[in-house]
Amino acid sequence: MIQLDKVTKRYGNKTAVDGLSLDIPAGELFAFLGPNGAGKTTTIKMMCGLLFPTAGRVSLGGYDLVNDGDRARQLLSYVPDQPFLYEHLTGREFLRFIADMYGLDRDHGRRRIDEVIGLFQLQDFVDDLTQCYSHGMRQRTVFASALLHEPRVLIVDEPTVGLDPRSVRLLKDLLRREADRGTTIFLSSHSLDVVEELADRIGIIDRGRLIGCGTLAALRAHSASDGSLEDVFLKMTEEATSEAQASGARQPPLAAS
Amino acid sequence: MTANTRPGPALPGLVFARLRWQTLRNASRIVLGQSIRPLTILLCSLVVWVFVFVVSYVGFRFLQQQGFELAGGVVGLLFELLFASLAALLILSSGLILYSSLFNSSETAFLLSLPVSTDQVFAFKYQGAIAFSSWAFVLLGSPILIAFGLTDAAPWYFYALLPLYFLGFILIPGSLGALFCLLVVNLVPQHRKQLLILAIVVATVPAAWLTYRTMASMQHESLSRDGVERLLSRFKALESPLLASHWVAWGLRSAARGDQGPVELGRSFYYLGLVWSNGLIAYVLTAWLARRLYRRGFNRLTTGGTLRKRYGGHWLDGVVDRLLFFIDPQTRLLIVKDFRTFRRDPAQWAQVLLFGSLMTFYFLNIRRLFVREISTGYQNGISLLNLSATALLLCTYTGRFIYPMLSLEGRKFWVLGLLPLRRERLMWGKFIFSTLGALVIAEGLVLVSDLMLEMPPEAVVLHVLAVAVLAAGLSGLSVGLGACMPNFRETDPSKIAVGFGGTLNLVVGLLFLLVILGLMVVPWHAFAMASEEVALAPALAVSVVGAGVGLGLVIGAAAVAIPLHYGARNLRQMEF
Repeated sequence: MIQLDKVTKRYGNKTAVDGLSLDIPAGELFAFLGPNGAGKTTTIKMMCGLLFPTAGRVSLGGYDLVNDGDRARQLLSYVPDQPFLYEHLTGREFLRFIADMYGLDRDHGRRRIDEVIGLFQLQDFVDDLTQCYSHGMRQRTVFASALLHEPRVLIVDEPTVGLDPRSVRLLKDLLRREADRGTTIFLSSHSLDVVEELADRIGIIDRGRLIGCGTLAALRAHSASDGSLEDVFLKMTEEATSEAQASGARQPPLAAS
Repeated sequence: MTANTRPGPALPGLVFARLRWQTLRNASRIVLGQSIRPLTILLCSLVVWVFVFVVSYVGFRFLQQQGFELAGGVVGLLFELLFASLAALLILSSGLILYSSLFNSSETAFLLSLPVSTDQVFAFKYQGAIAFSSWAFVLLGSPILIAFGLTDAAPWYFYALLPLYFLGFILIPGSLGALFCLLVVNLVPQHRKQLLILAIVVATVPAAWLTYRTMASMQHESLSRDGVERLLSRFKALESPLLASHWVAWGLRSAARGDQGPVELGRSFYYLGLVWSNGLIAYVLTAWLARRLYRRGFNRLTTGGTLRKRYGGHWLDGVVDRLLFFIDPQTRLLIVKDFRTFRRDPAQWAQVLLFGSLMTFYFLNIRRLFVREISTGYQNGISLLNLSATALLLCTYTGRFIYPMLSLEGRKFWVLGLLPLRRERLMWGKFIFSTLGALVIAEGLVLVSDLMLEMPPEAVVLHVLAVAVLAAGLSGLSVGLGACMPNFRETDPSKIAVGFGGTLNLVVGLLFLLVILGLMVVPWHAFAMASEEVALAPALAVSVVGAGVGLGLVIGAAAVAIPLHYGARNLRQMEF
């Protein structure tokens, strides 16, 4: 469903993503980890068609993001780390706008809006202007809008930041349920406990290069560590840092599928 | 894609139109719910409109009395000059607003991640930018043209055609501004600021040179019919039939003459058709280009440079630090921090620089308007007008830049609040920063104006003193009220400035300005002008002017002390 083929992205003379290859099938919950500045958000922005790869190809559901972006974006929903809401719209008006944008017909759109309002428990504030919302309320509204058109790919960047434990639980259940229904989920997060609990496979990126990809068990084997995901992550990124500092040389990028 | 989902919206324009309608409706409900803000906006707009209308009406009457045919060559050329200037301003403002709206807003990434074609997103943003950048066009253009219509006794359809001409015309400079914006971002994304500066210089230098030449020649020309015609002949190049300003000017003149026969009316509709067809084709071409270049430009702008920009120290910070040697080190550090923030934000200093430069240019040239001797009445009137303009600039500067400063500390208030310094220091630092900045700008402007007008020394001293009182008072009001009504949730200074507190600050600042000018400066000018006509006792003048100055100083001190006192109290009691 999501394919990245030897994708490289450069900012001037700085390489943010370096020869990244990924193949994520439908219905998989794929977690994307990496230290700050590793290239996670750049990768996500290329998957949404906001940025173009300097080299390589990104496609969603078979549609190339550069040449056939509008069709590819019809399949996806993107929840950024700092989500956007129109401050002068109510939550319901925003949901209506999203339903119209994705071409949901009127009755179906209305039905879906009622469903997501119930699912994310927005009833108490959905008719208030979003400028009055707390961070948690905004996050729930954005997730409701992201799931409104039943996307086949859901890309989520740091979804748990600022959420209370109850909302985090709600979110985790939801992501798992969506993946089980066949939605492909690409989750970028620093919350390793959430990733450990939810992810089918995990990709670790450092300095723009994929340094590990697979199930938790595969990563443990790859890093020769029996510990938690946190131990595995720290060990792999520290090794990558040491290697980079010692040699200064580039390793061949690791392809994952 | 589910069974009930079409690929994207069937009518994206309609979806965006509904979005625009809903946001406008909700925003206007909020604005109308406040009592001061809509009233202030309405009042200020009305004052500007009436002022432009009266000046234009008097001007057209003067031309009529001088024997100029209003629908004739000179007035036509004036119209072409007006529309060409407005078009230049519209190209610049719509280009800048579109740049910010298309590439620099948080909404952009959201809209570009939706399954809607790029030209639809562009169209939505374009409409907003054009509406925003053309309000000044309507506010300045409509009173001039209505005054022309009334002076020339134009038929009713002249007024009916005005909005149609306006709407069609703004499409052309708006599309050109959008086109430049798209091309700059795509072709030279990392040098866009340099290119903008170059474009402004390229546009300004010939305009300034032409103005200088015109002003210089006005010294040798009387305001006779021949003199005015000779002066305006310098702008003949603007009469090119290929310019949109020419079509609007001729179309409106024909509409004003419409009652002279169907040929003139037909000609007006011909020009209207020309304006609209060119406006629409310009828009369609720009939208077509946006479909290919907008997303590419967004990508180039985001990724064309390095990830991090390195900032170092600057010699100007050192100069400010050394100049303020007499202030305690903690307050000095806060002032240098505010100065550094101001220096690194071109949107802030560029506005001050632009307005300051324009006013300096005007002050330097004002004397050239008069052939030889300037009458006492004109000398006093113009110097008072210049002083008022400078005071208004100060009021805008403190309202727009100084008032939001304390609110903008909101996110880092925990850092400043935990520092081992009294919280009032924060306020004093901003007050000194604001006052010194205001003094440097305003005293320089007033001195240039007074020297050019050859004002007597006592008037210069009075003006300098009044400006000092205004700089301190307006700074005290802005800093004090900013501390009394901080808005720590908002990060956009322009939104803080137009909020309730910002609007209240502006209104109080304007009242303070009127009171100070009325007390400290107006009496002297009134005596100076009256002494030309009647003999006045010098003792009376001295005592009235002295009393006014004394009262002005007391009110100025109160404008500093009272808001800062309450602001300090609010800061001390503030929990964060």
